[in-house]
Amino acid sequence: MEDNQEEVLEIFTQDGVLITTAPATYIHYLNNVGTLLIVEYPNSNLTRCIEWKPLDLTIDSDVQDQEWTVVSTVERRRTYSGSLPVDVNRSKHLKINMNDIKSFRVSHKNQKLTFRDGKGDNVCSFIFQHGNCDGLIAVLKGILKTIVSRRDKHVYCILDDIKNPERQQLDKSFAELNLFQEQSSAYVWKFVKNFPNRPYEATMEAFSKITDIVYRGPEHRLMDSEVHNILHRSLEAIENNTTTHSHDEYELIAHVPRLPALKEYPRGRPLSFEQWKALQDSEGQVEDVEAVKLVIFRGGISSNVRKEVWKYLLDYYRWKCSHAEQQNLIKQRNEEYFIMKLQWRSMTKIQEDNFTDYRERKSLIEKDVNRTDRTLDYFAGDNNPNLQVLYDILMTYAMYNFDLGYVQGMSDLLSPILYLMNNEVEAFWCFVGFMNKVSSNFDMDQAGMKEQLQHLHTLTAFYDPEFANYLYKHDSANMFFCFRWLLVWFKRELSQQDVMRLWEVLWTDLPCQNFHLLICVAILDTEKNILMENNYGFTEILKHINDLSGNIDISTVISKAEGMYNQIVDAEHLTDAVRLIIGLPILGNTSIVDSKEASPDISDLTTNGDTDEVSYENALTHSFL
Amino acid sequence: MSGRVNMRPTNKNALLKVVILGDGGVGKSCLMNRFVSNHFDEHSFHTIGVEFLNKDIEIDNESYTLQIWDTAGQERFKTLRTPFYRGSDICMLTYAIDDKSSFRNMNMWKNEFLYYADIKENSSFPFIVVGNKSDVSIEEREVSQLELETWCNENGIASCIETSAKNASNVQEAFKMAVQHWLRAESRADRTECTYSDTVDLSKKQSDVRNSCCAGATDD
Repeated sequence: MEDNQEEVLEIFTQDGVLITTAPATYIHYLNNVGTLLIVEYPNSNLTRCIEWKPLDLTIDSDVQDQEWTVVSTVERRRTYSGSLPVDVNRSKHLKINMNDIKSFRVSHKNQKLTFRDGKGDNVCSFIFQHGNCDGLIAVLKGILKTIVSRRDKHVYCILDDIKNPERQQLDKSFAELNLFQEQSSAYVWKFVKNFPNRPYEATMEAFSKITDIVYRGPEHRLMDSEVHNILHRSLEAIENNTTTHSHDEYELIAHVPRLPALKEYPRGRPLSFEQWKALQDSEGQVEDVEAVKLVIFRGGISSNVRKEVWKYLLDYYRWKCSHAEQQNLIKQRNEEYFIMKLQWRSMTKIQEDNFTDYRERKSLIEKDVNRTDRTLDYFAGDNNPNLQVLYDILMTYAMYNFDLGYVQGMSDLLSPILYLMNNEVEAFWCFVGFMNKVSSNFDMDQAGMKEQLQHLHTLTAFYDPEFANYLYKHDSANMFFCFRWLLVWFKRELSQQDVMRLWEVLWTDLPCQNFHLLICVAILDTEKNILMENNYGFTEILKHINDLSGNIDISTVISKAEGMYNQIVDAEHLTDAVRLIIGLPILGNTSIVDSKEASPDISDLTTNGDTDEVSYENALTHSFL
Repeated sequence: MSGRVNMRPTNKNALLKVVILGDGGVGKSCLMNRFVSNHFDEHSFHTIGVEFLNKDIEIDNESYTLQIWDTAGQERFKTLRTPFYRGSDICMLTYAIDDKSSFRNMNMWKNEFLYYADIKENSSFPFIVVGNKSDVSIEEREVSQLELETWCNENGIASCIETSAKNASNVQEAFKMAVQHWLRAESRADRTECTYSDTVDLSKKQSDVRNSCCAGATDD
């Protein structure tokens, strides 16, 4: 093969790198683990490439080419570690010429690296499962001239290729310098928006930016016209805005920043048995937890391995435990469970009579067990033994967490777990793991639910200010109609199979915390036209949302929510309020009550601090006046 | 789904907001579903959050649209439930005949309702008390009809009835009685304000109520 003849210099290699975004030609590599390389081809004008190869390519390098086209790499993945022999099958590599990369962004505690083309698209992203990408960044900084973006300190902009001076003479436009990243207009708009409120600061910030360009770029004279253009346009915009709108001189810049376009994120294939086994070492330890989670986030879990993987996702099993340690743990947990079960089973009649709280819990559990998923075969029919198990687990949980006790909704959360585990002790501990994630849903004062409804409103207001404003004007800014969705994570809206698919995705905590809120935003976005066209008020919205039960296509919704997440994360005007909700670090340069900017009317819901509860209740009450 | 029926009442009936309250598991949702769709499912889910259904009802050639609100019964959800009490026209207090503690808790429910519904004149608000699950055997019964009537008398509530959502006994009657009671309360309110005295025929409504299980408790 011609590649073999070519001289190749591998500047850098790193194993255990998962590819999560790739150009269309390499889409079959997505969600696979492999090796990332920086390669130089001395015979081809010193071309440098970022390359990536899947694990199997090395192991199966003797396999005929035609076989590669029909056999999926995912199916045949196996564990392989240690240094890789020099690769003879280079033509199979994902290969990206470094000249096509204009910036790269480091995120997720330096475990994720995304290369961008400077036109707003991600060329490829990688997750570094063994450690982080610090080593690679160091190498990149050594061979490329980079500067840290002023707008996002996690972004490195590539100025040029020092070793290739001819390129420097090429048409290097202002935009290509990437100081303003994807959209220089976005920066201008920010300037325009800030100008009336903070004219001095906004101007100084803008000029400091321009100074950056002038001092750092060698061809500053070429940029003059561009700079002039931008300033001219922005001043024009200020004039337009202030002259057309202003009767109150500092208030009415009505430009609403736009989100990047919604992209498609097709669902991946579920984690297969073979993949799962390949990700465990001989001792049973799972090294690449993030890799597992990523595959699950992308495509869920195959039914033949779901039962086992759920135990890990729900913290019953430990990812980093060997089989032997696991066995020990299981034994302990088993004993612990039966001790707790015995505590309530051995309660005497007199004890019970003297213990109102306990009696009430017991009675409510009895009632709810009798009306939990009785249409499923697993719980159907009179005297179904599985109902007794459901009851025993909930009673034991009430002993395990006496402060929380039993709250309606818990039986909904337990049902799919018990159905899958079909084992009392395992189901109990998995349920404990799930409850640890959502126990704030069941707070005595419902503070956790109120907070989520508020967060949901903040996200909606950021994503779609017009819709948020509609909700506000129709007494629905309390988002109460999503209460059931949030309390039991869509359990009442979806079939048992679908709810299992959704939950395992949400348990990964990918791509961010509170992804379930984005699921809500995605469904609401689909329904908003109906709500708005019919001019529904609070009661009609509540009814419409309640009636969606059984009519939600969860795969579509997850894809959409992922797309929306990426729109939000990439938004130029991303606020700290939203960053906080989705778990990004706060920048401190926008106020937490930022959603007011997008939708000024909703201030009574987006305040924070001590007034939370009051404002929530006011808003909720307001709906019924 | 995509047909998108308009949920608003199509005609110009008077819209009455009815709130059903009571302990978890007494059969609030079952009463509502039996009344609205004449359907009963013993193993239907417990309610999460708040649901409501509309149903037209005709009384003395007048049509009313009842908007029936059904809430989660557990104490825990109190703060999210109570905002829905505002604007109610009728409150249906429910308990299960085979569950004494649900009967005892009616005091709590009544007080919670009065507190959050922001009622000006407590005494005249149309409460109706419904003892559900009248299909249970005598051995299982924990609340007698006498206890029900006594409680209603003590609490100044004029209308009460025993129902069974399971075998459909008295469910339509319970809602009808609720509306009649509302009509009487309305006319009384009108009278005290010395206005439109000719709107409602009082005597007729009252005689209807006397046919109920709770006849002794009617006020005059």
